[in-house]
Amino acid sequence: MALIPVPKPPKNAYDPDRPVGSLLKSQVDHMREAESKLPLRYRSQIETYVKAVRTEGEAARYIQAVTRAIHLAHEAAERDRRGPRPAPVAKPAVRIGAASDESVERKQKRARKRPTSKSKKGTGARRRRK
Amino acid sequence: MAPGLDKLQHIVVLMMENRSFDHMLGSLKTVNPNIDGYVDGDPYSNPDANNKPVKPQPSAKFQGQLQPDPDHHFPAVDLQIFGKDSAPGASNRQPNMQGFVASYFNQQRNLAHSQMIMYYFPKENLPVLTTLALEFAVFNRWFASIPGPTICNRAFAHYGTSFGRVDLNPIYPPGTIKSVYSRLINADPKRTAKVYYYDTTSSTMEVANLLQNEPELFGTFKQFLEDCDNGDLPDYSFIEPNYSDHQGDSGALIANDQHPDHNVRAGEIFIAEVYQAIKNNPQLWESTALLITYDEHGGIFDHVPPPNCVADKFKATGNDTGVGVDFHFDRLGVRVPTILVSPWIPAGKVENRVFDHASIPATITKFFLGDYSADRSPREINADIFIEPQGGAVDPARNLLSLDAMRTDCPDFDV
Repeated sequence: MALIPVPKPPKNAYDPDRPVGSLLKSQVDHMREAESKLPLRYRSQIETYVKAVRTEGEAARYIQAVTRAIHLAHEAAERDRRGPRPAPVAKPAVRIGAASDESVERKQKRARKRPTSKSKKGTGARRRRK
Repeated sequence: MAPGLDKLQHIVVLMMENRSFDHMLGSLKTVNPNIDGYVDGDPYSNPDANNKPVKPQPSAKFQGQLQPDPDHHFPAVDLQIFGKDSAPGASNRQPNMQGFVASYFNQQRNLAHSQMIMYYFPKENLPVLTTLALEFAVFNRWFASIPGPTICNRAFAHYGTSFGRVDLNPIYPPGTIKSVYSRLINADPKRTAKVYYYDTTSSTMEVANLLQNEPELFGTFKQFLEDCDNGDLPDYSFIEPNYSDHQGDSGALIANDQHPDHNVRAGEIFIAEVYQAIKNNPQLWESTALLITYDEHGGIFDHVPPPNCVADKFKATGNDTGVGVDFHFDRLGVRVPTILVSPWIPAGKVENRVFDHASIPATITKFFLGDYSADRSPREINADIFIEPQGGAVDPARNLLSLDAMRTDCPDFDV
C-alpha cells in the first residue's frame, strides 16, 4: 500500500490567546486541587491568581507549573525514602496576565545570582585540585 | 486457534476529544454499507428553531466552525438525545436524536449557525481516521459512558465508573474501586501500566492518579515514542493528546485533541504518529492492539439513539444533573468513533456489539488479570470486552483478532 500523506494544519492554527474552554478550565481547577495537596514548599504562588486564567497559553503555564511541582514532590519523596532529607526546593513561580506577582520572580532571580557560602567553598575546592 | 491473541502482549488506548461517530466516520457508509453512518438520501434530520428539517451535510471544517464550543453538559445532551418535545422525567421518553440543532441554537439564537452542528467530514478530509476504520475494525455501537462532558466519561475509562459524577468535577470520594492502573501495578505477579500525557504543559486529566503514582504510572508522549522504539512499552498504555496551544521545548505546539475548536488535522497527525510508532517496531506491531476512541460526542449530531444499560451503584441527583431528575447511570451517552487496530484483524471488519468506555477497564482487567475479585462497578462488570482472554476456547464470533496469519498489507502514513 502506498504511503498515505497526512496534511498539516496551517501555521495560523496556533493560537495560545484562544479563550480557555470549559475542559481546560476544569483541568486548571483540577490542578489547583492537586496543588493544594502538595507539601507547602512545592506549591506555586499561583493559587490566588487561578481566576485570572483567561487563555489557553495562561492555562498551559499554570498546568505546567503544578505538574512540575508534582514531579519535584515525588522525586523528593523518593530521595526521602532512600536516605537523607533533600534541600528545600524553590517554589515555582508562574506569571498569569496582569495579576501575576512579578516580585516573586525578581526575588528568585536575585537569589539565583547571589553566590552562597557553599558555592564559594565548592569553587575553591575545584581550584585547589587544579 | 487464535494466534493473534496468543501473540498479544500490549494494549494501547488513545482517547481523543469531543467528536461524534457520524461527524467523523459517517461518510464511510458510502464505501462500506455495513458501517452505520449517514449517506445523502437517508431520512435522518433535525428540526431547526422554525421546525424546518436540517439534513446532515458534508461541510465540516477543520477549525473555525464550532464556535462557541457546542454544549455537552448533561441538560444539553438530554435535549440532544430526546428532542425539544420531551421533558426530563416524562414517562415513556424515547431517544430520537432530534435535539442537536435546537441545543446549538440555544447558545447563540443564530438559525444559520445552529445548522453547522449537523456537518460531517467527507472521508477524503480525514485520511488517517477513515483509513484505519476501513483497514481494521470499526465499532458501530461504541457509546460514551454518560450523556455528559469529558471528565466523567474519561473516569469510566480509568475506573469503570464516575462515582456518581455527571460533570467536570474530577475529585472522587475515596472508595474501594481502584483504577485499572492500580489494579495492574499492584497485581501479583505485578503488571505494568502507564498513562502517557503529551507533555508537562498539557499534562493529564487524571490528576488523582498523578498525585498518587507519579512517576511510576506517568510518562510523556516523547517517552511513549522512545518506549515503542526500544520495545519497552508496558502491558497497558493510555495516551492523552495535547489539550492546548502552547509553547513546548521545540517551539509552538498546536492542540491535537480535536476538541472543538482545535484543528482536526493536528489530531490526524497525532493519531498517525501513535500508529506508526507501534507499527515501525516489528516485534511490537505483532504483539500490540491499539484502540482509538473519543471521550464523548462534544454536542455534535449522531443518528443512533444510545441504549439503556444496567444502572451503576451510584446516583446523580436532580440537582447534579441540572434537569431536576435523578440519573442512575442507566443510559449510555452519544455514539463516538472507535477503531481497533492490529495486524491480526481483517480489513473491513465492522463490529456491532454495544460497548462504552467501561469496556476499557473491563477488557484490560480480564486480559491481564483474569478473574479479578476486588470491587468493580456494576457498569464495568456488565460491560462487554473487545479483546478476548488468552488461553481456553475462543469464540470466533467474538474474537476481532481473528486472522490465522499476520497481515502484511497494512497502511503507512507519511508523518
